[in-house]
Amino acid sequence: MALLEVRDLRTGYGHVPVLHGVSFSVDEGETAVMLGLNGAGKTTCMLAVAGLLRRWGGEVLFDGRPVGKHQDSRAMTRLGVVLVPEGRHVFPGLSVQNNLRLGAWPVRRHPRKVKANTDRVFDVFPLLAERRHQLAGTLSGGEQQMLALGRGLMGSPRLLLIDEASLGLSPVLAQQVFQAARRINSEGVTVLMVEQNAGALSLADRALLMQKGRIAMEGSGADLMSESALRQAYLGAPA
Amino acid sequence: MRFLIAGLFEGAVFGLLAVGLVLVYKGARVFNFAQGEFGTVAAFTVWALLGAGWPYPAAIVVGLLAAVVTGLIMERLVVRPLLDASRITLLVATVGFALFIIAITVLAAQPEPRSLQPLIGGEDRDILGAAVSPQRMVIALVLIGLAVALAWFFNRTNRGLAVLATSQDALATRAVGISVPGMSRFIWGFAALLGGIAGVLQAPIDIFYPGFMTRTSLVPAFTAAVLGGFTSLPGAFLGGELVGVVHSLGLHVLKDNWNVPGAGELTLFVLLLAVLLARPQGLLGKEA
Ligand SMILES: Nc1ncnc2c1ncn2[C@@H]1O[C@H](COP(=O)(O)OP(=O)(O)OP(=O)(O)O)[C@@H](O)[C@H]1O
Ligand SMILES: [Mg+2]
Repeated sequence: MALLEVRDLRTGYGHVPVLHGVSFSVDEGETAVMLGLNGAGKTTCMLAVAGLLRRWGGEVLFDGRPVGKHQDSRAMTRLGVVLVPEGRHVFPGLSVQNNLRLGAWPVRRHPRKVKANTDRVFDVFPLLAERRHQLAGTLSGGEQQMLALGRGLMGSPRLLLIDEASLGLSPVLAQQVFQAARRINSEGVTVLMVEQNAGALSLADRALLMQKGRIAMEGSGADLMSESALRQAYLGAPA
Repeated sequence: MRFLIAGLFEGAVFGLLAVGLVLVYKGARVFNFAQGEFGTVAAFTVWALLGAGWPYPAAIVVGLLAAVVTGLIMERLVVRPLLDASRITLLVATVGFALFIIAITVLAAQPEPRSLQPLIGGEDRDILGAAVSPQRMVIALVLIGLAVALAWFFNRTNRGLAVLATSQDALATRAVGISVPGMSRFIWGFAALLGGIAGVLQAPIDIFYPGFMTRTSLVPAFTAAVLGGFTSLPGAFLGGELVGVVHSLGLHVLKDNWNVPGAGELTLFVLLLAVLLARPQGLLGKEA
């Protein structure tokens, strides 16, 4: 069953439209990967789904229920839709531990959940446990990305939106991030990740190709890998 | 020694105001020129209610409430519309709001000096050679209590962390589900409460008049906050004490001995300059 269904989503910045009617769905338990060129509108789509950017039109359904246009990120995180934003965005002046604690904001009144989530994050990212007292701003880029993912997990997401987690990481680190995403998914969290790195397609139960503010293609990861059209559109090489 | 003790007690009010400045700075990254006026609003409200025969504690509660409401109005009308504007614009806007409040208090209460009875009456006590009024002792106790409470708030509570988060990364703050406008309201209301407390406690020390907190205490409080590094609450507290002591010593040495005009202001200015040159990050400059 579709956990997230997006129909004809339109939005943009100021008066400039960016998404011209985006439709796709993600089933419960899946890992979906969204690809697309720079500026195609992937981040814009993630922000709109997470309630961080107002929708101009179209519908979003979560768990079968329509999400109101005025429902912001506060409402979305409570529903269980959490975004790990592009560019990490950790709180630089706060310790690793306090960054994670803030990630648990939607469930802060349930200490047992916060504790369980912390244990889970430290289990997936042992490095964060070692550095729990370090200021986030002094972590390396890769470590900050781990922290951003961990912080996302702290909010007990049912759907985790991950925007270009591998950006600026070495291939080895990018691989580690993908492993982490797989692990998170295997524990029952549905994952929708934006990636430039076509290597992520191997993780994908479902692949989406964003092109100029529209979904140009939707299929299994293998489908898209073999599509010559994808190669042309995405890698810019003739088939 | 006498001047050291007198300075420590005098510095408590500067510390109280400085803590409010630091809070706003942590939350909104702006220096709030209207911080003193929250105190004036509270002091005038208390004065008016006492005049109408209210008991002191009730008058204080309503006075502080008036300060908080002023803070919330300021947040809604001045700060929120400038959320995305440059911090300089917001800074100038806080100056404007301070002038606006001064104008309102002049209209409402006439630009005349007035006096407020102290919270606790009684004779001055002699502490190591310095005469200290009971009111000053109350101020010092309140400051210590608030400093402890605030340190706990920022390091141990979710809401305190959220205030820090807001100032560090707005997108991330929203992404974890915190309402940024809600936090902004909270910060300004809370800062206004602190300013109100400072005003209500300071007014009985001397005469008061529209704008008196801005006139007498804002610059020393600013110096105190800078001394403390502007983001450190313990720093603001210690900075206030240091400013009080230096101010008191400067007055004594320059004015009593050589009759230098404006000795107090001069000393503060030199102190501020010295710290900015020698240690621009302040004495305890660090986050949280
Ligand atoms: N804050 C903004 N204000 C105005 N225009 C914006 C803003 N953010 C993005 N855009 C524009 O929207 C379009 C889509 O941007 P978006 O960030 O969604 O692309 P993307 O697919 O995530 O690209 P990338 O792969 O580089 O991250 C671009 O043309 C961009 O210039
Ligand atoms: Mg992007």
